Amino acid sequence: MDIIVCIKRVPETAEADLVIDASKKAIDTDGLVFSINEWDNYAVEAAIQLKESVGGTITVISVGPEENNEVLRRALAMGADEALRLTDPAFEGSDAYAMAKILAAAVKDIPHDLILTGVQADDDGFGAVGVALAQMLGLPYAALVTDIQLDGETLTVHRELEGGLEEVDTLKLPALLTIQTGINEPRYVSIMGIRRVARKEIGVKGAGDLGLSEEAVGAKGSLSRIEELFFPPVGEGAEIIEGTMDEKTEALVKILKERGGIA
Amino acid sequence: MEELQQPLPERLDLFTCIQCGKCTGGCPVSIKSPLNIRRVIRETVVREDLHGFFSRLEIWDCTTCSTCAIRCPRGLKPVDAIIGLREMMVEEGRIEKTIIDALDGAYKYGNPWGRAKNKRAEWAQDLDIQNALEMDPGQILYFVCCAASYDPRVQVVAKTLVTVLKAAGVSFGILGNKEVCCGSEIRRMGEVGLFEMLMEENMKNFGKIEPATIVTTSPHCMNALKNEYEGLGSEVLHYSQFVRRLMDEGKLAFETEVPMKVTYHDPCYLGKQNGVFDEPREILTSIPGIEFIEFGRCRENSLCCEGGGGRMWMEGTNQGKRLSEVRVEDALEMGVEAIITACPFCLLTLEDAVKTTGNEEKIKIIDLMELAVMGLGKTLETEG
Repeated sequence: MDIIVCIKRVPETAEADLVIDASKKAIDTDGLVFSINEWDNYAVEAAIQLKESVGGTITVISVGPEENNEVLRRALAMGADEALRLTDPAFEGSDAYAMAKILAAAVKDIPHDLILTGVQADDDGFGAVGVALAQMLGLPYAALVTDIQLDGETLTVHRELEGGLEEVDTLKLPALLTIQTGINEPRYVSIMGIRRVARKEIGVKGAGDLGLSEEAVGAKGSLSRIEELFFPPVGEGAEIIEGTMDEKTEALVKILKERGGIA
Repeated sequence: MEELQQPLPERLDLFTCIQCGKCTGGCPVSIKSPLNIRRVIRETVVREDLHGFFSRLEIWDCTTCSTCAIRCPRGLKPVDAIIGLREMMVEEGRIEKTIIDALDGAYKYGNPWGRAKNKRAEWAQDLDIQNALEMDPGQILYFVCCAASYDPRVQVVAKTLVTVLKAAGVSFGILGNKEVCCGSEIRRMGEVGLFEMLMEENMKNFGKIEPATIVTTSPHCMNALKNEYEGLGSEVLHYSQFVRRLMDEGKLAFETEVPMKVTYHDPCYLGKQNGVFDEPREILTSIPGIEFIEFGRCRENSLCCEGGGGRMWMEGTNQGKRLSEVRVEDALEMGVEAIITACPFCLLTLEDAVKTTGNEEKIKIIDLMELAVMGLGKTLETEG
């Protein structure tokens, strides 16, 4: 089975003090640590596990500048066979819809039975690229996938829905799945493993190679644009509990009980 | 990199093992873990395929205390077989999530807790410490490392060491946010490539300032820098060795009475692995008022606290009582008021054991530098 996995390089923000840059449309990424988008890491692992059970090839694709080779190389070290980077000045400012168009143009030329993406990206959090890509390619798809079983040409997948519901679907290959975290335990990628694939060639394609006009991609080819980025205003309602440890504990338990936090 | 291509038995000369079992006999975890180091050696020699080891969680029980290496009559290092197996597991990517998190943290942020790089020197911000990168060559560098930089309890140790160094009039600097993990624990969790990367990063900075002496908070860092950083020209000392020297040079004298009955817990990386037994004892017995008694199991026979070898990030199979709890109970029986130690991991594991055994009112775990600050009549940093 031939699988394509779309991966994104994102800044890690859990520990960082974020600063909005001068344009007010992006965060200042100076000094931030970048790595593979967490959901995409699970998608790569899912692809490798499928390959390990039924064979085939894995191609990883990322849209972005040369720095993205870092996450592509990591995926190669993890077990992917080929890597392709899509880059062009015209791609700047693409929203999820334009991004899906770029990816659609690229995967058309690559034989595939299955396309995997992460559910969403850690930075923009739209959760739209995967499903938009499926729509453009005319592929059956399932989003928020937490389990994959393959039987011949048929996929049986579990989807994680709101309120603790789980849905089981069957899809015919070729298909697209957006992968939820927790579906597997992504393997560790060692530094030596990454060094071993350091010289492996990573394909590069631009808008021209993909037959995309400048109007189709970037800000012009997008359906949405960021007007302004700001931190949510600090609201009222915080309550500081005073007193000795015992008094504070008692007061906290009382509040939690009253508001249904604990039984 | 090529080293790993060579099979483990050849690389570590394991064919010469006579299976006497002294290693297992001395292993502090063999009493409570399925880990049998003698048997591991035998299996690595006779098995053609070592993949069977990969699912055996007990390989992560080893604390790398190196008692086995001290005892081996053939001069082998059985502990290195464990690390070798871990290296293979790391290469296959088949390791536990908590270990992955520690390695990822060290890779991305330069510390196994994955804390922000720019918060590394936060503990020192009000202490007026020189930026080592602006020092002339031939000075003293204090290598703080991760536990002392980020763990609130161990930050106190770093602060007390700074107090002691200043009291002795020592001029020194720290690398601040440019410092990265020494890699000792990373290497012992089997990530050789990452260890090398961290080493290169630190060596780059050491090369800029060519310190005459590097003083470390942790015996683990001291061991890594001294014995594993190839080409490092500086003298590397654990703080206990450096402070002992300051006493010899007449720069430091403890004159404040500290009436306390204490014992001393030998950190494995300081004692067993680097033979530093006397300096910490000489420091603490020079403090007036200290009544010092030895553990039954002390010096080369000291009982490991289980904090080393990556165990800070991996519980292991860990059946039975924690050795740190055994240690605390032994100390209580001896009637001491405090266990003094000189390693961040020992400090944390022993202090946890005091809490889990419910003995917080009866015994304290004190770092040697905290005691030294008391002996200098200075106030102890207790915040955090």
